[in-house]
Amino acid sequence: MNFWPGFYALQSAWFLLLLLPLIIFYFLKLKRPHQRVPSLALWSQVINDRRVNSPFQKFKRSILLLLQILLLLFLVLALMQPYVQSGAERAEYLPILIDCSASMAATDTETGKTRLDLAKERVTDLIDNMLPDQQFSLVAVSSTARRLTAFTDNQRVLRKALADLTVDDVPSQLEDALRMTQALSRTAPIKTVLFYSDGNFPREVNFELPFDLNFQLLPAAGANMGITSFNARRNQAGNWDVFIRIENSKQADSSAKVELIQDGTSVAEEEIVLGSGDSQRLEFSIAADKESQLEAILKPGSKDSLASDNRAFLTIPPSRSLLVYIDPELASYRYALADNPELILYPQDKSPTAPPEYDLIIGSSERDLNKPALVKMGVGFVPEGLTKLISLESNLTDVVDWNRSSTLLRHVELADVQISQQPVWAENANVEDLEELGYEVLIHGRLGPLLLQKRNEGELEFYFLFNTDRSTLPYRVGFPILVSNLIQLTLQEAGISESQAPATPVLPPLEFQPEKQYEIQTPTGNELRAESDPNGRITGVPALHTGQYTVNGAGADNAKISVSLLNPLETSLVSVEEIQFSEVPITATQTQIDSDKPLWGEFAFIAFLLLLGEWWYFQKRPSGTMS
Amino acid sequence: MSQGSPLTQFTTLFDNKTLSMLERMRLNPTRRLTNRSRGEHLSGKGGTSTEFSDYRNYVPGDDVRYIDWNIFSRLNRPFMKQYQHEEEMHVVLILDASSSMDYEDKFLRCQQLAAAFGVMGLLNFEKVSAYVCHNRGGRPQQFLPTTGRGSMKRLFDFLSQLEPGGDSPIESAVDDVLRSHRGRGIAILLSDFESFGDLQRPMNLLYSSGLEIFGVQILAPSEVNPEINGDLRLVDSESGQTLDISSAGDLLGLYHEHRCMLEEHLATLCRQRSGKFLMVNSGDNLEYILFDQLRRKGWVI
Repeated sequence: MNFWPGFYALQSAWFLLLLLPLIIFYFLKLKRPHQRVPSLALWSQVINDRRVNSPFQKFKRSILLLLQILLLLFLVLALMQPYVQSGAERAEYLPILIDCSASMAATDTETGKTRLDLAKERVTDLIDNMLPDQQFSLVAVSSTARRLTAFTDNQRVLRKALADLTVDDVPSQLEDALRMTQALSRTAPIKTVLFYSDGNFPREVNFELPFDLNFQLLPAAGANMGITSFNARRNQAGNWDVFIRIENSKQADSSAKVELIQDGTSVAEEEIVLGSGDSQRLEFSIAADKESQLEAILKPGSKDSLASDNRAFLTIPPSRSLLVYIDPELASYRYALADNPELILYPQDKSPTAPPEYDLIIGSSERDLNKPALVKMGVGFVPEGLTKLISLESNLTDVVDWNRSSTLLRHVELADVQISQQPVWAENANVEDLEELGYEVLIHGRLGPLLLQKRNEGELEFYFLFNTDRSTLPYRVGFPILVSNLIQLTLQEAGISESQAPATPVLPPLEFQPEKQYEIQTPTGNELRAESDPNGRITGVPALHTGQYTVNGAGADNAKISVSLLNPLETSLVSVEEIQFSEVPITATQTQIDSDKPLWGEFAFIAFLLLLGEWWYFQKRPSGTMS
Repeated sequence: MSQGSPLTQFTTLFDNKTLSMLERMRLNPTRRLTNRSRGEHLSGKGGTSTEFSDYRNYVPGDDVRYIDWNIFSRLNRPFMKQYQHEEEMHVVLILDASSSMDYEDKFLRCQQLAAAFGVMGLLNFEKVSAYVCHNRGGRPQQFLPTTGRGSMKRLFDFLSQLEPGGDSPIESAVDDVLRSHRGRGIAILLSDFESFGDLQRPMNLLYSSGLEIFGVQILAPSEVNPEINGDLRLVDSESGQTLDISSAGDLLGLYHEHRCMLEEHLATLCRQRSGKFLMVNSGDNLEYILFDQLRRKGWVI
């Protein structure tokens, strides 16, 4: 720190010229009051006394002048707006990013303060010491970035925005905040960006920094244990297996009790002990024939830093059979699924009636796929939109490669499968053309794609561009696995066999009546408004806090959906000390940033004291009076 | 002080009770400077009163009537019998009536004290005269020498009608008085003695004129304890001259020192000439001054 003060308004030094009239007027004594005395004889002797005319006495006689000069000097110094230079480069426009993700709510074992409280204290200190030419912009960083204030030098606005900032129960996403800051730099020259965080975010950030990032790492919080996963799967017996994953942070070994509540009734309880950084998966089995609400509650045995990850919510869907339509011509699929008790096959020979909507359609023509369904699979034809890109030839071909991580092709071996129909790329057509149309190639043939996947407004579509019955696939072990995967995929899409606990930061898609307005009440009491799309789906509703959200509107009478944190990174409270950007790493600093400290207030205070001193000196009872 | 009704009071300067008490008091001079005319004061010289004083050797030319023949018969040597000589003492009241005395009852106290000393003189068969000095070089206003109780009313009237004003300093006033005064006795100087001039000279003149000096310095309360502060322009009430002082509060200590030095100087001047000195605060009670201060200082008996 440089102790030699700087002056922000140096031009105010011109006010020092007021010293001249001050001294002139003082010595002219324009307003010296007249005091009539019987005789000046004694006073003349006093004035002529050697002691009165000693330099010190002369000075003492002019102490009022000295006080007035000092008063003026300090007032002018205050006007010059001095500040103690911190030595750090002073930014005129300073965006301050404040992490307000879930982990920022973690409390300190000693002080009980949250990380956000610590960040607020530091930022408040910066705002208090803000210089007149500085403008701050506060940006909240959670799953998205929110600009709390534009660039402003209004301390009241900044303090209010800071005070209103709360923790969101969401993971932090630094990239969004940096991109927002980059956008801000178009309106104001930004050299440095301050970022206050506990470091609980992915180490690698895909962003090219156009400015300096000053990463202020907040002190680590205490130990924490939380629920990081909560899901359920229907088992063969028709019951539900409920899985809860509990993770412990690296600070200390911890014990806890986990309680599972079904529709308000405690159905299971288990005690666990976890070492530092360990996790444990708990499994419970519950019976649920109809829709059921599950709540997992973690009761830590010792001090727990984060409360938002101690509860999780899960909805068990009502059980029903899958409605599957398979083109009668595709005998291999019908045969593979004929004995599956979880589904009802259509068309049925006995009953000509058909449901209005299917869960799965496997068709050999475009007409079959026009029926509404969650999952559709076309076999043996090229979709209409792709006929210009791909043509079907009657040549023998085989599989070159396939996407083994695809849900549909998991554990499916396609090597040595012989295919008598060969999809062929049209001239100049390639995979990029398909991707532009939303297709993903799952199986590559020699001259063209063999299997395509497309997500079409909530419907999942697969296209075998060759007729599987004209290949050796139905005779391979992989075929029943493929069909089983397709059924599992359909079950997932229908939400029948599995259920995942919804997690922040977005509500899962909700389905009500099409194109209607809905009001969503958040756990914090706020109200959100959303409109359903033509399919009746409401998507993209932010869920920044864990707890129960209530939806009201047409067809949704107090529909409730609960959201949990379920983020292993947030629960672990792990902090990175270095952020790896595309080109440069940024190392965190725990040293608080030194801001330039303005001194005008101190100088004004001294001037006020001098004024009081002068007043007291002027008004005090004369000294030396004999009683 | 209770003044009572003006109709029943003998004088406006003090009440009848004070007057009656004053009538029983007399001045107590140290040197017994008297005139040759007979009076009530016992002279230091041999006199013709009936009160025996001393013996001395006979020298030729002495009046043989005063030879003690009984001693001559026993010792066969003539001795002269000496008797106390009772002579008249002149009490000269010199009042400073310059403008500086026109300040917070200073001149009233001056009038009252002059009247009190005059009463003591007149009722003890002294010759009393008064000189009131207003202007430098001017002829002092004079109350002609007079004796006896019958002159008391005239003295009061003379003193009551005085008005302060003028620029006469005390040393000049003494010069003016001595120009017209004749006679030995007591000179009672009533002034504030705040003068730029030399105070030694008038004291010497008075002493050499056969007058024992009774100096009374009369100061106003605001002169004894001034309560001023800050930067002021002091204006002299006599000359109108001004003096600028800064931070007057800090100078008060020095002011007190100088005032005390002046008081001490005046006391020394009087003492060296067998005189007396008294500083009177015009804010003090008159009875306190007359019957306490003067008695304790040995001015009156």
